[in-house]
Amino acid sequence: MIRVLPPWLRSGRVLAGLVIVAIIGLCAVFAPYLAPHDPNEQNLVSTLLPPAWTEGGDVSFLLGTDSLGRDVLSRLIYGARVAMMVAVFASLGAMLLGAVLAYIAGYFGGRVDALIGRAVDVWMSFPPVVLSLILMVGLGVGLRNVILAIIVVDWTRFCRVLRAEVMVVARKDYVSAARLVGFSHWRTITREIVPATLPLLITLVSLEMGIAVIVEAILSFVGMSVSATTPAWGQMVADARQYIYDNPWNLMFPIFTIFLAVFGFNMLGDGLRRTLDVRVTATQRV
Amino acid sequence: MSMDMLIAKDLAVSAALADGTVPVIQELNFSLPQGKILGLVGESGAGKSMIGRTVAQLLPPGFAVSSGELMFNGQDLVRMPAETRRELLGREIAFVPQEPLSGLNPVLTIGQQIDEHLARLNVGNRRERRARALDMLAAVHLPRPADLLGKYPHQLSGGMCQRVLIAMAFASRPKLLIADEPTTALDVTIQARIVQLIAEMQRNEGTSVIFITHDLRLAAQICDSIMVLYAGRPAEYGPAREVFARPAHPYTRCLQLSNPSMSGSGRGLYALPERMPGLSALKGINGCLFGPRCPSVVEACNRRQPPYVASENGHLAACVRCETTPAIAAPALVDVGAPVLGEPLLKVEGLTKTFRIDSSFFRRSDFTAVKDVNFTLHQNEFIGIVGESGSGKSTVARMMCGLEKLTAGSLTIAGRDVSDGSKASQAHQRAHVQMVFQDPQSALNPRRKVASIVTQAMEATNDGDWGERLARAEALLSEIGLPPEAATRFPSQLSGGQKQRVNIARALCVAPNILVADEIVSGLDVSVQAQLLNLLLRLRRERHFSMLFISHDLSVVRYLCDRVLVMYRGEVVESGPTAEVFADPRHPYTRTLLAAVPPDDPSAIWKPQPVEGESAAVCEAMVANA
Amino acid sequence: MLTTIIPLIGRRLAISVFILLIVSVLLFLVLHVLPVDPAAMSMPPTATIAEIEAKRIEMGLDKPLPQQYLIWLSQVLHGDFGTSIHFRRGVLGLVLDTLPATIELAVLSMIIASVLGIVGGLVLFHVRGTRKEPAMDFGSILLLSIPEFLWSLFFILLFGVALHVLPFTGRLDPDMRLPLGTGFLLFDSLAAGRPDIFWSAVKHMILPCFALGIAFSPTIMRVLRSSLIDVYQEDYIHLARLRGLSERRILVRHALKNAILPTLSLMGVQFGFLFGGTLLVEVIYSYPGLGNLMVDAVRNADLPIIQAVGLAYCLVVLVINTVVDTFYLVLNPKLRIR
Repeated sequence: MIRVLPPWLRSGRVLAGLVIVAIIGLCAVFAPYLAPHDPNEQNLVSTLLPPAWTEGGDVSFLLGTDSLGRDVLSRLIYGARVAMMVAVFASLGAMLLGAVLAYIAGYFGGRVDALIGRAVDVWMSFPPVVLSLILMVGLGVGLRNVILAIIVVDWTRFCRVLRAEVMVVARKDYVSAARLVGFSHWRTITREIVPATLPLLITLVSLEMGIAVIVEAILSFVGMSVSATTPAWGQMVADARQYIYDNPWNLMFPIFTIFLAVFGFNMLGDGLRRTLDVRVTATQRV
Repeated sequence: MSMDMLIAKDLAVSAALADGTVPVIQELNFSLPQGKILGLVGESGAGKSMIGRTVAQLLPPGFAVSSGELMFNGQDLVRMPAETRRELLGREIAFVPQEPLSGLNPVLTIGQQIDEHLARLNVGNRRERRARALDMLAAVHLPRPADLLGKYPHQLSGGMCQRVLIAMAFASRPKLLIADEPTTALDVTIQARIVQLIAEMQRNEGTSVIFITHDLRLAAQICDSIMVLYAGRPAEYGPAREVFARPAHPYTRCLQLSNPSMSGSGRGLYALPERMPGLSALKGINGCLFGPRCPSVVEACNRRQPPYVASENGHLAACVRCETTPAIAAPALVDVGAPVLGEPLLKVEGLTKTFRIDSSFFRRSDFTAVKDVNFTLHQNEFIGIVGESGSGKSTVARMMCGLEKLTAGSLTIAGRDVSDGSKASQAHQRAHVQMVFQDPQSALNPRRKVASIVTQAMEATNDGDWGERLARAEALLSEIGLPPEAATRFPSQLSGGQKQRVNIARALCVAPNILVADEIVSGLDVSVQAQLLNLLLRLRRERHFSMLFISHDLSVVRYLCDRVLVMYRGEVVESGPTAEVFADPRHPYTRTLLAAVPPDDPSAIWKPQPVEGESAAVCEAMVANA
Repeated sequence: MLTTIIPLIGRRLAISVFILLIVSVLLFLVLHVLPVDPAAMSMPPTATIAEIEAKRIEMGLDKPLPQQYLIWLSQVLHGDFGTSIHFRRGVLGLVLDTLPATIELAVLSMIIASVLGIVGGLVLFHVRGTRKEPAMDFGSILLLSIPEFLWSLFFILLFGVALHVLPFTGRLDPDMRLPLGTGFLLFDSLAAGRPDIFWSAVKHMILPCFALGIAFSPTIMRVLRSSLIDVYQEDYIHLARLRGLSERRILVRHALKNAILPTLSLMGVQFGFLFGGTLLVEVIYSYPGLGNLMVDAVRNADLPIIQAVGLAYCLVVLVINTVVDTFYLVLNPKLRIR
């Protein structure tokens, strides 16, 4: 069965990662249909209920309720929206910014490269968590600002890794050959260099999605992410932490969900790295 | 009593590949007496390096000795326990590798690495080891050994690293030395010195040597006996001079005839068709492995592997048609005499290129790669530029096609001065000059099909749809001798020689007047090289273009080029018609360069310039006095 | 060796100062486009608009931005980082009170991450090609996916709540007092001759430091493993075998010495991230360090603290990078000597 799939898909990791990401994606997209309750609906009678299968649980609140009586399962499903939005848009944005600069720096070299390199150095002397926090202070809360903050912080990660690869490819003779037959700089980059670095780019995007989920969770944990009315996993963790002795389950579920999302993206990224890496060096030393 | 140091009896090594076991080495039989040198000659893929690995029993995973014996000094190497064998390595059996620069640990000093080696040899205490190390380095003629001990490998040149490795190999006075292409990665003049050094050390210590090389002429000079390998099976084995002067096996003879000679014998190159079968192709051949390419092949050859036929003085050949070998001759040269030269196409005056090295924030040093070069290239003319690494020849090539801008001087192509580097000049340059790159691996985009690569010039001008491009590609491919099916393949499906042809086809797409070929046959097998050189000559006849041929290989330049420029450290030290320059070199550097090539006649005495420090110091003195 | 290193380190330090300056400018810019008005924040809710305006002028918020920056810069160079709006104390004092705690936490975590990373990397390398490899590789990806704040919470659940063996709040037992001194508790407590405080401090540091250390070790493991694999392809390793050196000697003296270089490079970057990770870990463990200070300041829009703490984080990361670069220079002769 596995032979039917295209080569880049033929990996347990890629499939597993895709499945996990797909599940979370589906939750995000179809949240209103999947969630049993309104995530913000408070039930002050039944607060801090444990999951349905334990003693004291209620079947209508499958995973229990939080301190304000809101259904944990629904909040998790709706929380997937924030997580996926951030994951997709922030990583794509960071990729665009970082990749464009990386191509320019790696291809043209010289002063342009030095300038961009210095900028990356300055950026990376700041711990990303701290920087994103400060940016949120400056920008104010909201989903759009979270995405923007992550883009501004994480583009350096893309830039640095990609630049090294671009420099290797740009030195190859076939790039010079393209210039020799009259390709413009733009054409050379898009037709010769970008395809060569595409596998790395895809892998990095996948890994970046996992990182974006983590950063968003951290920001919502300290209350500097989306507004309080939007369910977010990090926020759920922060709330649950205060009632850790009363209902430890409230803490475990969002922790597990965050972990699962990151794990899915990491598996996907790692699997793609292996399947897309066509660096076949057939050196037979006979 | 002269005991045989290394004896191979019907040794066979096979590899477990995906679709079955394949013989990598078969029927290997030789005996190496004490103090003698055995040359293992073959093209790449013939299995010569595998023998070195077999002696050390460090075969790649999946490879194993399948039958036969390998006896070292009476001990069975193959069945010996690993610990015993490890005791022998580095002590009684030593190795000299192909790539000296990467053979030393980059984060340890030379002194530390020698000290480690000597400690293993149980040479006394630290002080004694240091004294011994200094002796060792002096014995290989390295200047200022005390300073050298504190240096790191990246501070040394390739030649110096190789001397250190040779010193370490001989430190234990080994009984057997295996030198695996020890000079292939080095410059020509350094090659000669290193080979001489090995011969000298070998004489002093009485070591038996297995000298692995692809150069038959070199082996004939320094080895006592030669074994020629083809696809893992010995083709010929006998005394060195004998094998060279009177080869019995057709392959040996063809190999000789594929090598251009330094004296310009007036013959063409014998180009064996296709190439030596690789591991996976070996399974399909029942008869003689060389049969498909052999000029003397008959029906009997294809039925079974030919047995070894002995002639007098122990000269063995695996062929049933040995009597036809002396008759195999190279084709005559089609263009006899100097070609008719046309207009001057390219004129270079005062060409200079200086690179800026920003080593730190404040210091900025300049490096002059090319200094004041002048020459004129006429239509139909092939000019060769020879020199060693650092001579600036590649930089000159890149300036010709516009990949590097000129720092000073003028470059006139087809009557128009293109030195300003403007857009119009660049376009003019591109239309007249095209480059064929050296490394086929990095010169072809692995993601493009061959047709797309070859017609890339059409893509730049959006000229023609895919159908037209495919047609044009097929036409170009047939011109350079590839079948039209190759057009839809990817580079990874082609061999090295085929890739290089695609390279040439790409350059020919815009029909330039001038081709610049930068080391395009280096690193290719002799037979493939011969094919390409003949192709270039044929193309010249058909298309009448000129070529600037950059190479470090003097014999190739002798064969191909009408005029030659000799470059040293960025300057042209000598120039003129090839035959004249080679026959009667004026400049001391040219003389050194030519003397470094082993002579065509193995009975002639080979004397590269005497060693007094590195070649650079000698020549610098000469240049200063000239 | 020293003569070659010192100019390179000197250059690094000069660049670091330059970077610090740029970071301060960027910080200033980001924080002064706030939607919140610091003047209004520092006045009681009953203040009138005129009073708030007066406060604004008093705080210098009416002047043009570059001028505000230069004023701030000149104050900083005199050691005056301003006064906290919320705590009503000097900012420098607040930062110096909390910085040692965070540094202690970070250093211990880095040690744990290094040890785990190197040992794990060696183990991963050792099992390559065997049947255990896929499982261990999978395990390392699993570990990679658990960020430090999840480890922190998990440890609290397991060791704090369920098993009740380790404390997870604060720096010391509630009844103990901080001894006076440098602020580095482990040092101060021993210097003051109070082993009980020392042990209490250690116990409180175990969970946060292991959370950070374990979280950052998988990357180090994987890089060490792939570096070792790359190094073993090199010619000099093959030649060392041909010289008869034992596998153990080859691993330690030749392979590791080379493979440690890219690993060290990565560790430098990772430790920068690790230091940033202390922020959240401190919040989760209610550990009185820079992180908690920052989060409080963020919640209160306390600009002077945010600026100063931001700079402090940046400074420490630059120090970490310089230290790692120095190690790298010592170990890699190609960079020192042309």
